[in-house]
Amino acid sequence: MFKQLEKTPRTVLVCERSHLDHEKARLGTHVEQHFFNHKVSLLVPGCDRLPAELDAALNSMRSFLLVRNLPLSQLLEKEFLDQAVYKGSTYGLSYQTRIDEDNCYALLPNGKLVLSVDKDTYETLGLEGKPSQYQRRPAGRYVVSVDLKDRTMSPGGKGHQRVVKALTEHTPLSCDLLLSQHLPGDESPALQSLLSNHKLSEHRPRVSSHVMTSLPCPTLVTSHLQGEQQSCDPQSFLEWLGAVDAGVTFEDQSDGYLSTYECPQPQTVVDAAVRCSVTGLLLPEDIYHLLDVLRRSVLEPKLAPWLALTVHGFQDSPVSWGTAEHGFLSGGENFYTLVLFQNLDYWICMATGPHDACPP
Amino acid sequence: MSLFMDLNLPFTADKKRLKTLLETAAHLGFSTVAINYFHEGQSKGKKEIPKPTPLAQLVDELPIVQGKSRPIKVLNRLTILVSDASHFRHNAAEYRAYDILAVQPTTEKLFHAACMTFDVDIICITVTERLPFFFKRAPINGARERGVMFEVCYAAAIRDSTMRRYTLTNTLALVERNKGKNIIVSSGTDKPLELRGPYDITNLAQLFGMSEVEAKDGVSSNCRSVLLHAETRKTACGIIYTVKTPNDSQPKDGPPLAKKQKTSAS
Amino acid sequence: MQPAVFERVVVKNSPVYQYMKVSLVLEQAQTKLTAVELKHLITTGLKSLYGEVGAAFPFDLLTFEEDTLTAVLRVYSRGLVRLWSSITLLGFFQQQRCAFRVLQVSPYLLALTGNSRDLALDS
Repeated sequence: MFKQLEKTPRTVLVCERSHLDHEKARLGTHVEQHFFNHKVSLLVPGCDRLPAELDAALNSMRSFLLVRNLPLSQLLEKEFLDQAVYKGSTYGLSYQTRIDEDNCYALLPNGKLVLSVDKDTYETLGLEGKPSQYQRRPAGRYVVSVDLKDRTMSPGGKGHQRVVKALTEHTPLSCDLLLSQHLPGDESPALQSLLSNHKLSEHRPRVSSHVMTSLPCPTLVTSHLQGEQQSCDPQSFLEWLGAVDAGVTFEDQSDGYLSTYECPQPQTVVDAAVRCSVTGLLLPEDIYHLLDVLRRSVLEPKLAPWLALTVHGFQDSPVSWGTAEHGFLSGGENFYTLVLFQNLDYWICMATGPHDACPP
Repeated sequence: MSLFMDLNLPFTADKKRLKTLLETAAHLGFSTVAINYFHEGQSKGKKEIPKPTPLAQLVDELPIVQGKSRPIKVLNRLTILVSDASHFRHNAAEYRAYDILAVQPTTEKLFHAACMTFDVDIICITVTERLPFFFKRAPINGARERGVMFEVCYAAAIRDSTMRRYTLTNTLALVERNKGKNIIVSSGTDKPLELRGPYDITNLAQLFGMSEVEAKDGVSSNCRSVLLHAETRKTACGIIYTVKTPNDSQPKDGPPLAKKQKTSAS
Repeated sequence: MQPAVFERVVVKNSPVYQYMKVSLVLEQAQTKLTAVELKHLITTGLKSLYGEVGAAFPFDLLTFEEDTLTAVLRVYSRGLVRLWSSITLLGFFQQQRCAFRVLQVSPYLLALTGNSRDLALDS
């Protein structure tokens, strides 16, 4: 019996190492395919102020909309399809819904509308879906995925009519939706005017930054992804990053009674480090832009040999890595940490919770 | 999985306490709770079955569930302590005022009867004293087939270490027999500081021998089954009424009528 | 320049530690507690549920905020269920009622600072 109590749910951590210009480097894809990001946290050791360009990139993450009580059928109206689905990339995620309790909805930039609904809703909805991967026997949750860019889904088409009927007559579904759009070029998004007859509010991502002094940092050697004598392995590094974010003090005053945690060896103490975080609905396009800036900043000789960027996904998003289904057991973590070295080598660690697919 | 529920918050006339209790439950993430009226069955004194106090008289405003934008849902539940078979009256009119009906049998014979024949939604398992009988496979299976849930309350285990032992022993015995299926875990306390969150209970139930998924079902899906069972139990009563009407002289009308009833109620 | 490489490592099922973010609620809200007292309280809970062996099980108190009584704990994965259940069943601190509210549990310490369920947007 005690053996069973020692089990913890299965989790996966994927680490990759490559060079930014390597032909197999998939960093861009990883960033692009992690659609719903809730928080970005950047750690730059070796400076007490962020380079201006970097600061600007963090502060210029675009704002997003919160639409209250939006009927989902609204997303299938011709105007919305024209302005938001066929053009650019639009990200929508239901707000304050929990994937292990409620119905959760997401609009992906590739035009897919994902409805993760409970059994009751699924049965009355009358749309084709699949039982959730994480609640198979007996299936208590179903995932319906509608490709809005499909030919049959154009307004007036057969599929379109069926979905509209399901969402207006069979089971009118509505939710509070977080919404944001990226358009190529200088065109400004028309979401606000499209949904002007609903109660909506615009939110700017919240930025906070923090300077730390005499911070012990673990030594990283780019080629030692699996951890060797002279270098810290990714797991311990992630733990250390978490400790920095959580505000753990690295000198223990209680002779190890309270905590035995210390910064991994070998370590170097840096005089100052800046930690900066942004929260909100953050688009992969903005994070990609941030990455570009990071790439230029890391070459500045005054900075430390590496910098670390962590991107947290929404715990209750129906999808996590690409279109892979996502769930929540005792946690729903899905985040990735990027460590960028001065020679443009990088590490990326993608971490998942118990009800999650293996990152690509 | 469905919404988190705590189907056993004992009724207290103290309005202030009830308010904090509901607020705590909502804050912990419970979307639905049931206020439990306890009735001790007596054969002679003929104590009246209590009437549920209308919700509007108890609380002015329902608290919002943590992390959601909707208020908590509150139901009424009646639990009858049955120490004699006559204490439970089938289809008594008094029962109809409640959303959920539960019994707590005290002897093996009554436990058997409760599992096999009593028209109830929940059978409570004693956790405050040593179980006076063993669980037999037949009644446990009977209850499962009829969709009746067993309820275990955890608050006593927080209060006192002896009761904690009884809680563990009795629940382990139950889980051993029914393999962690059809069990719901409720608080059974009117003290806000004895309430625990749904994920805490999920973890705690692993000590009872349940797997993490079964344990999570115990505060969500299984509670939903209780509500559905309660609903059909009431609807079944409705059908019996339709049989009484003169319209039902043609036997062919029976099934569609019943069907109609069911759909309109659900 | 070094020759560029591509390497991928998948780590499954082996988180060494689990992290818990907990906060203590006391009947008398003005009661103050130090980090040492909090750790002692949790150890008492472990001992009352799992005996001497349980009390000896190591866990770390990584952070502690005195004004909110919020702490981050680190425990070996093997001990998570036991630590968590003993925290759940703790009902008293020095004769007054108390309750631990477990805010988040994760195999990654980083996840504790990026909980999207805390995202509050006022409109």
